[in-house]
Amino acid sequence: MSELDRLRHAMRVTERGGAPLDLDAVMREGRRLRTRRRVAGAGAAVLTAGLAAVVVVAAVGPGGPSTVERPPPVAAVPTSPVPTAPTPPAGGTPTTLGTPRPTLPPEAERTASPLGQVIDSGIRHGVDQRVYYMVRVSVPGEPRVTIGLAAGRRAPDGTLTTDVLVNDVDGADRSPGFHQVGYDEGGSAAPVPAFGYFVGPAQRITGTVDGRQVTARLARWSDDKQVVIFWFDPADLTPGDRLDGIIARDGDGRRL
Amino acid sequence: MARGDAEFVEFARAASARLVHAAFLMTGDHHQAEDAAQTALVRTYASWSRVRDDDAYGYARRILVNHLVDGWRRPIREYPTEEIPEQRRDDVADEVATRRWLTAILGALSPRERAIVVLRYYFDLPEAQVARELAISVGTVKSTSSRALGKLRANGPRAADNQEACR
Repeated sequence: MSELDRLRHAMRVTERGGAPLDLDAVMREGRRLRTRRRVAGAGAAVLTAGLAAVVVVAAVGPGGPSTVERPPPVAAVPTSPVPTAPTPPAGGTPTTLGTPRPTLPPEAERTASPLGQVIDSGIRHGVDQRVYYMVRVSVPGEPRVTIGLAAGRRAPDGTLTTDVLVNDVDGADRSPGFHQVGYDEGGSAAPVPAFGYFVGPAQRITGTVDGRQVTARLARWSDDKQVVIFWFDPADLTPGDRLDGIIARDGDGRRL
Repeated sequence: MARGDAEFVEFARAASARLVHAAFLMTGDHHQAEDAAQTALVRTYASWSRVRDDDAYGYARRILVNHLVDGWRRPIREYPTEEIPEQRRDDVADEVATRRWLTAILGALSPRERAIVVLRYYFDLPEAQVARELAISVGTVKSTSSRALGKLRANGPRAADNQEACR
């Protein structure tokens, strides 16, 4: 028997049956944890409303209307200030988390084209690609917030359907560190994997959920290489599940 | 008891011994192992509606391993003296000897090496899955696993001698 075989054998034969775990206590603590998560989730939603805007822009069901736009990679400055300038759904009602959101003027709709390259996540929804792209936004009194990150779908003919847009509503959109993380809100025709962006030399981004770590996929934004766009594979993080924490590390493994 | 709770109890009864043992192999501490397995089951139960129809055991295992990995960052503790199980079986001497050998072998490994050895050779997970669960590269899994097996071969005879001396 080789050392490895012996190791395998030893690990198995020393297993003890009838572990003395108190399942009543396990379930009691599990219920408390579940309750705490619900409360924390509700609190986080309120907090999010104060810190950032997350806009579900395509609340469409199967066969419903969708936001479709041709994606020339050209940015245009909005002609009038609006709280955010995402692409609202054609014939649909934008949904805002936490706070009511003013209607966007027509000019804003026309200017919400992708800034820089559209990033293909490699995730597919039928024939559509899950893509992420920056769009120009404008927030009153916040001149340093000019971009937002959109999660959308790209059809085979190149048309884009925007599902969720996240952007800062104060501070600066290029400040170092993490910015708003977007989650599936249940209003899209396809599940939206969690996504966001980090400003800085991140080489690895890891989230924590239920005590396990999930590693994000990364892509640098073509217009500013300091902006690292990340998303989580749905196999690792179920769309709609909230992260408990998230960290970024540089190429040497140092936490940023 | 609700149907979901009954399913969880059945799952927990089937999985707990293996989870506790895996945690013990990773830590060498029975009390810490039981705490870690209990934590993994608590979190699994908290998410039971979501994971019950998926790979609940894999979910609990991932929580267990990550919980223990978080513990690596805490100060290094003394490796505890192995307890002799209270069993009356004919092969109890063999089992005690095997346990001592195993304790000596695993005690020579770093926490990361132990985690990889347990995931690879106790849970029989492929290298790619070990890498995913520990959030490290496949290359790191291979190199660490190779280093751990090198230590195993180097320490094997000495541990075996100690085992014989204990008899």
